[in-house]
Amino acid sequence: MIEVLRYIRGYLRIRVSGFSPERFINLCGNRGILLSNIVRQGDAYEMDINLNAFWTLRPIVRKTGTRVAVLKRYGLPFFLPKLLKRKMFAGGLVFAVAFWFWSSFFVWDIELAGNSRITEDVFLSFLKEKQVLIGMRKETLDIEELEKEIRRQFPEITWASARLEGTRLKIDIKENDAPILREEEKAEAGHDLLSQYGGTIVSIIVRSGVPMVTAGDEVEEGAVLVEGKVPVYNEDKTVREYIYVDADADILLEHSLVFSEKLPLDHVEKEYTGREKRRYYLRFGDREWKMPQDRPFLVYDSVIRESRSLLFEKLSVPFYTGTYTYREYQNKEYEYKQEEAEALLKEKFLSFLSSLEEKGVQIIEKDVTININGGFWVISGELKVWEPVGKSAATEKTVIGDKEHDG
Amino acid sequence: MGAIRVTLTGSQEAWIENYRGILEYSENLILLQGKTCQVCFEGSRLTIDYYTNEDMKISGCICCVKYL
Repeated sequence: MIEVLRYIRGYLRIRVSGFSPERFINLCGNRGILLSNIVRQGDAYEMDINLNAFWTLRPIVRKTGTRVAVLKRYGLPFFLPKLLKRKMFAGGLVFAVAFWFWSSFFVWDIELAGNSRITEDVFLSFLKEKQVLIGMRKETLDIEELEKEIRRQFPEITWASARLEGTRLKIDIKENDAPILREEEKAEAGHDLLSQYGGTIVSIIVRSGVPMVTAGDEVEEGAVLVEGKVPVYNEDKTVREYIYVDADADILLEHSLVFSEKLPLDHVEKEYTGREKRRYYLRFGDREWKMPQDRPFLVYDSVIRESRSLLFEKLSVPFYTGTYTYREYQNKEYEYKQEEAEALLKEKFLSFLSSLEEKGVQIIEKDVTININGGFWVISGELKVWEPVGKSAATEKTVIGDKEHDG
Repeated sequence: MGAIRVTLTGSQEAWIENYRGILEYSENLILLQGKTCQVCFEGSRLTIDYYTNEDMKISGCICCVKYL
């Protein structure tokens, strides 16, 4: 610290020679002048002295009959004028510091973490829509509002956190792994369970409400299975009042499902010729500079590879380099062989079955055929399934006399 | 009272207080004037790191301190 202060105030290396340099040192000491690094060089002494103290040396020099020569100058008072003479350098330095300071007011990078189902492109286009862009001013960014917007726009995001680290906007999100269940708002008690399909009841276990059907009964679509209106009887077996409840039951219904899927007889496949052309580009933020190039091939697709050097990534500078690779191909028509068509259709059928199983549907019987019909491979089948049913609907209120009770 | 005060750290450094001034200074000898006596530091590559009215520091290879 003392060294830094000394540097700021400036100091000199002087050589003292003459009749009695020791007397010169003693007088300096007596007058409170700090001398340091005193070294004897032949008949003379060399030492460091503060710039301010140097101007008070004249009487001492006269008194002792010594000669003082300045050997070297150190410190800011000597460095600054030299620096100011080099105008371009000083200007550049000031400009660099100002630019660095000015650029720290902007967002230069957006980093997204924690997404698995929502792709980065989708998220970035959402941010673009909300005017959250690379190069925006930090003060115009309302982080709390952004977090709210993220949760509003993507219901599958259960937690979102955005923060600014320097010039980088870091967004952490957590997606919901479980399917989203929307609770229907039930303002009033009293809900029935209705059948979504027509079929036969296989089993019924009621937790609340009055069952209207029993196992083995045939029901129509929309029929009431469990009523959310529980009657309370008088002693003379007349209904005194109804207590309204939300019907709750596990009901399995046997019904038929029809599945059908088509596949055209022929299809077009890309056959790459092996010829490729590359085109390099530079990108800074949204601006892109490409190497000029004509249409590379008649029919082609392109692959984009983009990278950012570690230096720019660490400095959050949105400067990217990349290549477009154009690959020539020809469209070739192929006809599906029977085995291929069967395999593809079976795959579709199996994915349909697995989607049913996810819903808790048990498959009892299946009758599936594959054949050619009207220029298509067609898979059609009828399934007999046991499916949990019960759609909630408001109970029809019954008024007894003047009174109506809600439960 | 008024005696010169010398603090030695090994043979490399010496802090001296309560002196009057320097009488002689070379690479091999530093002679200081105290109020009551003189002190002589002998050695090699002797330098004065700082010198004020109050105290001073000598560094180098000190091999002998004599009171005259």
